[in-house]
Amino acid sequence: MADPQLSVRDLTVRFPTTRGTVQAVNGVSFELEQGQMLGIVGESGSGKSVTAKTLMNLLPRTAEIEGSVMFDGQDVRQAAADGRDHFWGVEMTMVFQDPMTSLNPVKKCGEQIAETIRYHLGQSKSEALAMAEDLLGQVGIPEPGKRVSQYPHELSGGLRQRVVIAMALACQPKLLIADEPTTAVDVTVQRHILNLLDSLREERGMSMILITHDLGVARGRCDDVAVMYAGRIVERSATETLFGDSRHPYTDALLRSIPRIDQPSHTRLDPIPGRPPELINPPVQCAYAPRCRYAQPDCLKSIPEAQGVEGMHEFACHHPANTDQGREALAANVAAGRNASGMPVAGYAGTGGF
Amino acid sequence: MRQLILQRLALLILVMFAVTIATFASINLSDTPLKNFIAAGAELDTNGHCDAIRAGEMDDTQQLGQNVGDCEYIDRIKAENNLDDDIFTRYGSWLGDIASGDLGTSTTSRLEVSSILKDRLPITIRLVVMTQIIAIGVAVPWGLAAAYRANRGFDRVSTFASFGLLSIPNFALAVILLYIFGIRLQWFPTRYSNNGWYDELKSLFIPAITLGVGLSATYQRLLRTDLITTLQDDFVHMARAKGMPDRHIMYRHALRPSMFSLVTVFGVNTGALLGGTLVIETIFSIPGVGRELVEAVIRTDPPVVMAFVAVIAAGFVIINFLVDLLYGWLDPRVRSS
Repeated sequence: MADPQLSVRDLTVRFPTTRGTVQAVNGVSFELEQGQMLGIVGESGSGKSVTAKTLMNLLPRTAEIEGSVMFDGQDVRQAAADGRDHFWGVEMTMVFQDPMTSLNPVKKCGEQIAETIRYHLGQSKSEALAMAEDLLGQVGIPEPGKRVSQYPHELSGGLRQRVVIAMALACQPKLLIADEPTTAVDVTVQRHILNLLDSLREERGMSMILITHDLGVARGRCDDVAVMYAGRIVERSATETLFGDSRHPYTDALLRSIPRIDQPSHTRLDPIPGRPPELINPPVQCAYAPRCRYAQPDCLKSIPEAQGVEGMHEFACHHPANTDQGREALAANVAAGRNASGMPVAGYAGTGGF
Repeated sequence: MRQLILQRLALLILVMFAVTIATFASINLSDTPLKNFIAAGAELDTNGHCDAIRAGEMDDTQQLGQNVGDCEYIDRIKAENNLDDDIFTRYGSWLGDIASGDLGTSTTSRLEVSSILKDRLPITIRLVVMTQIIAIGVAVPWGLAAAYRANRGFDRVSTFASFGLLSIPNFALAVILLYIFGIRLQWFPTRYSNNGWYDELKSLFIPAITLGVGLSATYQRLLRTDLITTLQDDFVHMARAKGMPDRHIMYRHALRPSMFSLVTVFGVNTGALLGGTLVIETIFSIPGVGRELVEAVIRTDPPVVMAFVAVIAAGFVIINFLVDLLYGWLDPRVRSS
């Protein structure tokens, strides 16, 4: 098998603050084959955006980064250190969460797309503007000729996100990182945007990383999904495996917290109790243990290593769900009424799970 | 945008009107009309001496020296400024005169106020323009450089330097610069001279630097703060994700949306400089508006004072009107609202 297009190894990102060092990303590893789509799922503060920003060289200078990031045989961190030109924007690029703020309010939409083309591809201004208009058409914006000379505030949120996508795709990048691209737009527009991204990816043979807090968004579209919690990838596998046969209790709990269309209405969902942990000086234990229905005393003593089949289905848990070991742990906790760190545990309310 | 301009224009006229009332009132309500206009000689008239002289009942040379001349002078000032009318009529005719371009006659030098203004105003305007060009020219690259690596070496040093510059009074800076560049190095003349435009430009250079340096520190602080905020914005991250070079991002993306405070304070300062360059004008013997205004106050020359104050106020209001228009240029969202 050829080397994957993108390979992230033991990526660790720390931010020194006055209150202590924040462990934002902690030993994250993943690969992405060309043309594939990887979903990174996690709640706020799980480190998914920091991971993306590391790839894009967008972290503040104070960030302490370790580990390796290889893209198409190139060392991304070295490229960042060298201040390499025509790498970001051409090789890989990113789309941000909020289309209301990711366009410059004082520049015309066409100009913002064209400047990228002019800089990277050296086109003249009029050629670049013509290409910008063409791109706007490709991302499904009606009347692209008119939009080129409009300012962002004259467009709706959905249209703006399309402009952002057109802007990102202007120089035919090989990898697109989409950081919650649909979180800030209307629910009805969400699906259009996701479908658009998916079809553009397919047309161009582009790889994509889709960052989301919504497992449902990842499900239909991603080839692989990585679930992040407190700066670590807790489970990673092919999408179907993850949804059908999850191992990490956090993944399991996430799946149970999503409403399902095939369940009767008013079916109770199982929320995840508690809050994600502080990332300053975290204790040496499984970060999820305080909220975990499966947590046993050994979960509070050591951080679980990744296990399972490397590159296929990996998870970091001492008592994985949907295994005998996990079922035992859960049964013991339900019987005791609490988990190892004292969180009350009862039987499930809903029928749960995908 | 058109509506915005019309709104501002209406406001501008209203403010101008209020300013003329305030100016007129402050000069004319402090004492009797005559004393307000002729501080020294009014005694004669109020004591009835002039009436007596006019009627021939009193020998003009007998008691009070040049009484006849003084009384004629008083009569002329009275007539020129309608001092026998009530104050509302006088305000009305003054406003009418000013609006039609007749600014009156100086009570002391007998010169037309408009010709004094024509001499003085362009010099002050040239000084203000030079000052602002220097201040902005220094502040923009300085602010960009400081914000680019905020709280790092250069920014720390420049914060220190800007507070230093802000805390030097401009008369002190003027003397220092005068000594170094005027007396020691002799690069620039030490006082205003006007033998052709180049000579004038050269003689205004140290004064403009003196005023501009302190301003540039203020502008730099404002621009730096706004830039740091803008640099956190998503569109700056987006521009970086597109791979645009830092220089392009700073100048083409971050600068314009960060200029609101700068432009506001720029407008206020331009207005303030029109009448406020007095100290510098005095040090460098520049015959500008500020100096003339203060001299007119000291020698009791109300037509000059009123006209100058009104013109300075008008300049202030008009400049700030232009600044309002500039907001529209800075941000298209202002234009369409």
